[in-house]
Amino acid sequence: MAEIAFRNVTKRYKDTLAVDDASFTVAENEFFCFFGPPLSGKSTILRLILGLEKPDAGEILIDGRVVNDTSPAARNIAMVFQNLALFPHMSAADNVRFPLKERHEPPARIEARLKDAAEKLHIGHILHKLPGQLSGGERQRVAIARALVRDPAAYLMDDPISALDARLREETRVELKRIQREAGRTLIYVTHDQEEAMSVADRMAILERGAIRQVGRPVDIYDNPATTYVARFLGSPVMNILATRRMGSDYEAAGRALRVAAEDAVAGAVELGLRPEDLHVAPWEGGGEPATVTEVEPLGGYTVVTLKAGDQPLRAMLRGQPEMRVGAQVALSCDPAKVIYFGAGGAALPRVRGARQ
Amino acid sequence: MTRSLAFMSFRYAAILLAIAIVLVPVLWMASMAFKPIEEWQATGADLTWIPRAPTLDNFRYIFGRSTSDLIVTLDKTALKPILASFLSAGIGTILAMTAGTSAAYGLSRFGSGANLPLALVQLRLFPPMAVMTPVMIMWAFLSFTDSWWGLALVYGIVTLPFAFWLMKTFFDDMPKEIEEAALVEGCSRGRVFLKITLPMMRAPLASAALFVFILNWSDYLIALLLTTKQWVTIPVYMASLSSSMTGQLYGAKAALGLIAAVPPVVLGVLIQRHLVRGLTFGALKQ
Repeated sequence: MAEIAFRNVTKRYKDTLAVDDASFTVAENEFFCFFGPPLSGKSTILRLILGLEKPDAGEILIDGRVVNDTSPAARNIAMVFQNLALFPHMSAADNVRFPLKERHEPPARIEARLKDAAEKLHIGHILHKLPGQLSGGERQRVAIARALVRDPAAYLMDDPISALDARLREETRVELKRIQREAGRTLIYVTHDQEEAMSVADRMAILERGAIRQVGRPVDIYDNPATTYVARFLGSPVMNILATRRMGSDYEAAGRALRVAAEDAVAGAVELGLRPEDLHVAPWEGGGEPATVTEVEPLGGYTVVTLKAGDQPLRAMLRGQPEMRVGAQVALSCDPAKVIYFGAGGAALPRVRGARQ
Repeated sequence: MTRSLAFMSFRYAAILLAIAIVLVPVLWMASMAFKPIEEWQATGADLTWIPRAPTLDNFRYIFGRSTSDLIVTLDKTALKPILASFLSAGIGTILAMTAGTSAAYGLSRFGSGANLPLALVQLRLFPPMAVMTPVMIMWAFLSFTDSWWGLALVYGIVTLPFAFWLMKTFFDDMPKEIEEAALVEGCSRGRVFLKITLPMMRAPLASAALFVFILNWSDYLIALLLTTKQWVTIPVYMASLSSSMTGQLYGAKAALGLIAAVPPVVLGVLIQRHLVRGLTFGALKQ
């Protein structure tokens, strides 16, 4: 149970800036997720929390205490590494016992904790095997058990389930969430899978080249991205971000196919952001300018339609399996309240009154 | 893809030739070791692969038990040279492996810059003869010549680069996260090395040690320069197996050669099980 905070932490490797003046606070018992593309500094942040790297500037705090010079062992944080890092010369049971043995726990307690962790992760039947004899999924469970077996201040996990197949990944992330809730511990999680990040995290931070761009609840970030980078990065299919200009009483985008009345929009908008599910598509019945359907992807519950309007590609996500032909002409519309308005430089502009919260 | 008959015959012929080039002299040595003097001195049509009258006389001779049909007696048996070889090569290997492994670990984990590893390679690029004479003078000054420890020390220094480079490759290949996991789980740096790194390195250590041992065991030049009488090694002793009456004592040499081949082969077989197993098998995701 610990609060973990960064105060203006910077870390450089030779010429690259791995973490750029990062500040954040992870609250007690929170499931906190770092989400960013490869090399955005996610893993470096975990290594800094663990004490495997020293920051070049700034302070790292665990429960309000600066731990910049504390050794990894003394920080009392458990970690599941991206490549799992099991000890190949020890059986699964010895791998799980290791953290307790190194802390000189009494043998009876070690065995009890081992049994407990093995039960939680369903690995009781493979404890006698060496890591080399286990499947990828089993190894991953052993690695998580090794982290869970003791009582650390916080758990850190660096994309621990990326090697699993999609179905097992979904199961495991639900299980992780449950384990975290039951253990009542802070869990800091790193992933590059946006669905995973959104599904498990209480709060998340979005990283770009070592800098934290936005911190908040996943749905809040989804609904109110602070910049076009965040808007594009979170959400699939990607948010439509359309250059816009004011023509008379309207803001026009995508050629002239999409219009928002100026009184509904935010003054000074340079780009409009519109989630694919918020872009409405209707048969064109003359008037205004049409968009052309260029691709239709029926995905069962919904259909993703790629459109082209004024040389601008757009994507719309429609419920069910609507009748849609490639080449068809359609009319575009949207609810002005669902549009995100970006100013010059890509920062979101404050919303008008009545926009969705 | 099926290959033509001509290609396949050529392939197998080439393989057979390569095997023959390696094995024929070895088998000939083994055969000669068990031949009495008339047979290993024979020429032309009298030469046979299988000894007509197999005998252990050659072995008895080098251990001083019998002079067989040779009129000369040896002034020294093979026992001491075998001991000298074991001591100098063995201790030399331990020295090289200890220093080389420590240096490799340090440089692999905490080293900066590429100069030191390169400097260690240059040790090997230097012709050994160019340094051995000065070393001989130094060793004479220190009264290290003609002793197993003086030889072991030189062996340790000369094979250090091999031990270092082999072990450095293995340490570089070991994922750092395994050690970091142990650090996070409460180990000190020293304990990580003893509890995690060394046990994981058993196979690499064994193969590197075998390689270094064979280098030391088969050295002739250094032993020739640094030992004279008391502690000559097997190769030096072997060269001295000749007499003014019969010339080269090929039978005795073959017997000694056969004995000299035993330790590397036995060690090789013993550690073979380790050699085939991967270093971090099972530590990582896939």
